Amino acid sequence: MGCSSSLPDRSSRRLSGLGNPESNGVPDAKNLRVKLVLLGDSGVGKSCIVLRFVRGQFDPTSKVTIGASFLSQTIALQDSTTVKFEIWDTAGQERYAALAPLYYRGAAVAVIVYDITSPESFNKAQYWVKELQKHGSPDIVLALVGNKADLHENREVPVQDGMDYAEKNGMFFIETSAKTADNINQLFEEIGKRLPRTPPS
Amino acid sequence: MLLSLVSRRSLEVDTRDSYGFALRPQHVQRYREYARIYKEEEEERSEKWRIFLENQKESNQFCSSEEEPRQILQAAELREETISVRGQEGDYSSGRRSNFHGSEECDHYKEAQLADAPEKEVQYLEEQQKEQSSAEPGKEVQLSKEPEKEDQNSKELEQVVHHLGEPEKEVQLSKEPKEDKLLLKQSKAGKVQTWYGIRQSLRALEKMMSSRVKHTKNMKDNQITASRDHILSTKDAKLGGQAKDVEEDVCVKDTFDEKVKKTTEENTADNENSLELFFPWKEELVFLVHGGVPKDLRGEVWQAFVGVKARRVERYYEELLAEETDADESEDHGNSTDVARKWKRQIEKDLPRTFPGHPALDEHGRDSLRRLLLAYARHNPSVGYCQAMNFFAGLLLLLMPEENAFWTLVGIIDDYFDGYYTEEMIESQVDQLVFEELMRERFPKLVNHLDYLGVQVAWISGPWFLSIFVNMIPWESVIRVWDVLLFEGNRVMLFRTALALMEIYGPALLTTKDAGDAITLLQSLAGSTFDSSQLVFTACMGFLAVNEAKLQELREKHRPAVLLLVEERSKENRVWKDSKGLASKLYSFKHDPGSITEEKNNGEGGNSDFESPSSNLDALLGSPNVETEADLLPNLQDQVVWMKVELCRLLEEKRQAILRSEELETALMEMVQEDNRRQLSAKIEQLEQEVADLQQALSDKKEQEAAMLQVLMRVEQEQRITEEARETAEQDAAAQRYAVTILQEKYDKAMASLSQMEQRVVMAESMLEATINYESGQAKAHSPRSGHNQSSAEETPGRSMSLLKFGLGWREKVKGKPNHESAHSISSNEGKDCSTWQKESKD
Repeated sequence: MGCSSSLPDRSSRRLSGLGNPESNGVPDAKNLRVKLVLLGDSGVGKSCIVLRFVRGQFDPTSKVTIGASFLSQTIALQDSTTVKFEIWDTAGQERYAALAPLYYRGAAVAVIVYDITSPESFNKAQYWVKELQKHGSPDIVLALVGNKADLHENREVPVQDGMDYAEKNGMFFIETSAKTADNINQLFEEIGKRLPRTPPS
Repeated sequence: MLLSLVSRRSLEVDTRDSYGFALRPQHVQRYREYARIYKEEEEERSEKWRIFLENQKESNQFCSSEEEPRQILQAAELREETISVRGQEGDYSSGRRSNFHGSEECDHYKEAQLADAPEKEVQYLEEQQKEQSSAEPGKEVQLSKEPEKEDQNSKELEQVVHHLGEPEKEVQLSKEPKEDKLLLKQSKAGKVQTWYGIRQSLRALEKMMSSRVKHTKNMKDNQITASRDHILSTKDAKLGGQAKDVEEDVCVKDTFDEKVKKTTEENTADNENSLELFFPWKEELVFLVHGGVPKDLRGEVWQAFVGVKARRVERYYEELLAEETDADESEDHGNSTDVARKWKRQIEKDLPRTFPGHPALDEHGRDSLRRLLLAYARHNPSVGYCQAMNFFAGLLLLLMPEENAFWTLVGIIDDYFDGYYTEEMIESQVDQLVFEELMRERFPKLVNHLDYLGVQVAWISGPWFLSIFVNMIPWESVIRVWDVLLFEGNRVMLFRTALALMEIYGPALLTTKDAGDAITLLQSLAGSTFDSSQLVFTACMGFLAVNEAKLQELREKHRPAVLLLVEERSKENRVWKDSKGLASKLYSFKHDPGSITEEKNNGEGGNSDFESPSSNLDALLGSPNVETEADLLPNLQDQVVWMKVELCRLLEEKRQAILRSEELETALMEMVQEDNRRQLSAKIEQLEQEVADLQQALSDKKEQEAAMLQVLMRVEQEQRITEEARETAEQDAAAQRYAVTILQEKYDKAMASLSQMEQRVVMAESMLEATINYESGQAKAHSPRSGHNQSSAEETPGRSMSLLKFGLGWREKVKGKPNHESAHSISSNEGKDCSTWQKESKD
C-alpha cells in the first residue's frame, strides 16, 4: 500500500511504485533493492520524512510510531538505475532502542534524523551513529539529516555542526523539511548514488 | 464516557468510524460495507448480554442469600432490584439504548428517573456540586468510597452515587443544553476526579474477576519494589493497609491459600477451579465475550474484567496528581523530578499525536489524557511512560471516566503486560522469540518462505504486540480482541490473534517475491481485517493449544537469551551515559560552582535509574551529607520516611552489587576461557606445524615417485626399442632363410637338370660308342681298312672323354660341397663308363 499513490506534482523521474522493476524478485546492477532504516529521537520527523517521500503528503499531527512501520518506494536515478527503498521507520522513544537492532541489522542504509531546533535530538543522533558504527553492517551507508529546516528562526543546531560531525564520521549530510518537501527527494537520490553498484546477493 | 459524544459527532465526518477514529481512504468503502454487519452483530450481542445478565441477577440473588447469610441486607436489596427490573419490563420497546440502561439500572435512581425526571436532574446536579466541593484540597468526602469503607449495608446509597456515570448519557438524550453546561462545569473544575463504580448488574462479574486481582496483588506486595521510586514505595506502604481492607471486602471467599510466593501458573489454575466452582455461568460468559461486548456495556465490563474495583486504592490517584505540584515546588528528590521531567516531555510530545483529530480528544480530552499518563508514570516508575500507552489511555478514556481509566491502565500495564513496557522491554522481546517459535511450529511453510525472502517475523509482529493491535487492524477488530484479552487477563489472546492473522493471510504471503512486497502486503491486509468476528473466532477456536502454560514454558526457554543481550547493551550504554554525565557535570561546575551539592544529589538519583556501577562511590560521597540531613529533619515521621527512602536506596545498591558480582563472575569465566583458548591455540599451532612438515615430506615423496616413474618410463622405452630391433633382425633372418631355401631349390633344379644332361651325355656317349663299335666292326669286316679305322676309332673316344672331363671340372668349380658326391658319382660314372669302355675295348 505504501507505494500505491503517485501525485501528479511529483518529480517526473519518480516511478509510480507498484510497477517496480524487480517484481520478479531478482535485483541486478540496474535495479537495486535496498533496506533503509530511519533512526533518531522521538518527534524529529522520521515518519513525516517517509510519508513525504513515499506519498508526497505532510500531516502536522501524524501518529506516534509504535515499534516500527514499513513503507517502500522506487526511484529512478539519472544513470537509469532504479532503486527500490524498503524503508523501516522506527519508534523514537529511548527505550525502543532495545528493538532497533532488529530493524537495522542487515540494512544497507541508515538515515539518522535530528531536529535542527533541538540540540538534544542532535545528541541522540550521535548516539545512533556510534551504535551503527559498532553494530551495523560494515559497509552501511550513513546519512545524517537535520529535519525541520523550515523552522530556521528557532534553529539551535548550526548547519556547520551537522556538517562537521557528518564529515568526521564519513557520512552524507543534508538538511531537509518534510513540511515544505525541501531536499526530501534529494536525500534519497543522493543515497541512491552512493550505493555500492554490485547488489549484495 | 466521551464516546457518547463521539458517536453523534462522528456521523458528520465521513472518514471516521463509529468510534471516531480516522479511516484510511482506501478502507472507507469496505468499512461502509461492514458497518451494517457490525450493527446487526451489535444488536444481537446486546440481546444476548441482556438475557445473560438478567439470568445471572436471579442466580446471584440465590447464591448470595445462601452463601452469605450475614449479608441479608444485600440480598434483600438484590431482590428489590429484580423486582424493580421486572417492573420496567414494559419499557423495553422504547428504543434499544435507553432500554438497555433501563433494564440494568435499578432501585432508587431508576425509579426516580421514571417517576420524575426533573427531580432526578436536580439530584444529579446536587451530586455534581457535592463532588466538586469534595474535590477541593480536603477531599474528605469521596463519593464512591462508601462501599468499601462502610459495610455492605450502604450499598443502596452507593448505587445512587454509582450511577453518576450514567446521567451524562441519559441527560444527553433528553436535554442537551443542560448536559453541555454540566460538562462545561465539570471540565472547568479542572481537578475534579471522576470515579464511578459500575452498574449493579455487572457486580457478580466484577466479583469473579476481582478474585483474580487479589492474588497478583498479594504477590506484588511481597516482591516489593526494588524498582519503584523512593517516594512511591513509601506511599505504597502507607496505602498497603487500606488496600488490604478493600481486598477483604471484595473477595468472594477466602478459600485460597493466602501464603503468597505462588507462581502465576498455580494462581491461574487455582482461579480456574474456584471460578468454575463459584460461577457456574462462566462458560456462558466466555462464549459471550468471544462474541463481543455490547458498546454500551463495554466500558464497565472492561473495568470488571480488569478488576478495577479491587485494584483501586482510595485517594491514590488524586495524590499522584497532587505530587506534580509538590515536585515542582521542592527539588529535594532530584532524581524523581529529573526522570519525571523526561516522561513529561515525552508525554507532551505525544499528546497531539495520539489519535490526532479524534473529536473526543479536544483540549479537555487531552488534559485528561495528560493527567492519566503522568499519574501512571508516577505510580510505576519502572515503566514510567512508554509510547503506546498514550493510545491505550486514549482508548480507555473514550469508554470510562478518568480514574476508572487509570486503574484499568494500571491493571493492563502492571499486570497483563508486566515487564513489557519497562526501560529494557524484556518481556516484549521474549514474546517475540516465543511467537517466532510458535510460527515455525504452526506455519513452517510460511516461515520458510519468509526466511527465503529475508523477512523476520518479529519485524511485523513486534509492532502488533506492542500496540496490542491499536492502529494495526480496524478498530472494531481491535476492540473485539481487547474484549477477549482483558477478560482472559493475560497475553494469550495477543498470540492467538497474531497467529490467526497469519493463518488468514499466510496463503497470500506465499505468493510474494521480495521482502518489501511481503511486508507491505501483510501490513495492508492486516489493516483491512474488517471481519472482526472471523478474526476473533479463528484466534480463539483455532489456537486452543496456545495457552498460558505453554507460553510461560516457552518464555522461560527464551528469556536467558534476551537477558544476555540486554545486559550487553546496558553495559555499552552505561559507558556512553557516564561519559556524558561527567561532561555535563563538569560543564555545570564551571558555570555554577555553587550548585555542586545539588549535583551530588542529582548524581545519586540518576544512578538509581540507570544502574551505574559508580553509584557505590556516589553513595559514599553522599552519605555524610545525608546523615546531617537526617538530624535536621523536623519530626519522627519525616525521619521514618527518610529511613525508608534510604532503605530503598540501599536495597537498590545491593541489587547493583549483586549485578556487578555477576558481571565479574562472567568476566572471570571469560578470562578462564581466554586462558584455555591460549593453550589451545598453542597446541593448534604445534599441530599445524606438524601437519606442514608432513605435507612437506609427502610432497618430497611425490617428487621422488615422479622421478622414478620417469626413469621407469625411459627404461621401458629402451626396451621397446630393443624389442623392435630384435623383431627386425628376426625378420631379416627369416628373409635370408627364405632366400636360402629358394637358392637350394634352384640348386636342386639345376642339379636335376645337370643329371638329366649327364644321362643324356651318357646316352649320347654309349650311342656314340655303339656307333663306333659298329663302325669298327664294319671296318674289321673290311680288314685293310680296319687298321685305319681302328686308330681313328681310338682317337674319337679320347676327344669325347676330354670333353666330358671339362664339363665335370666346370661343375666342381661352381659347387663346393656337393662336388664330392657328384664327383664321386661322376667318377663312378666315369669308372663305369671307363669299365664299360674298357670292357668294350677288351671285347
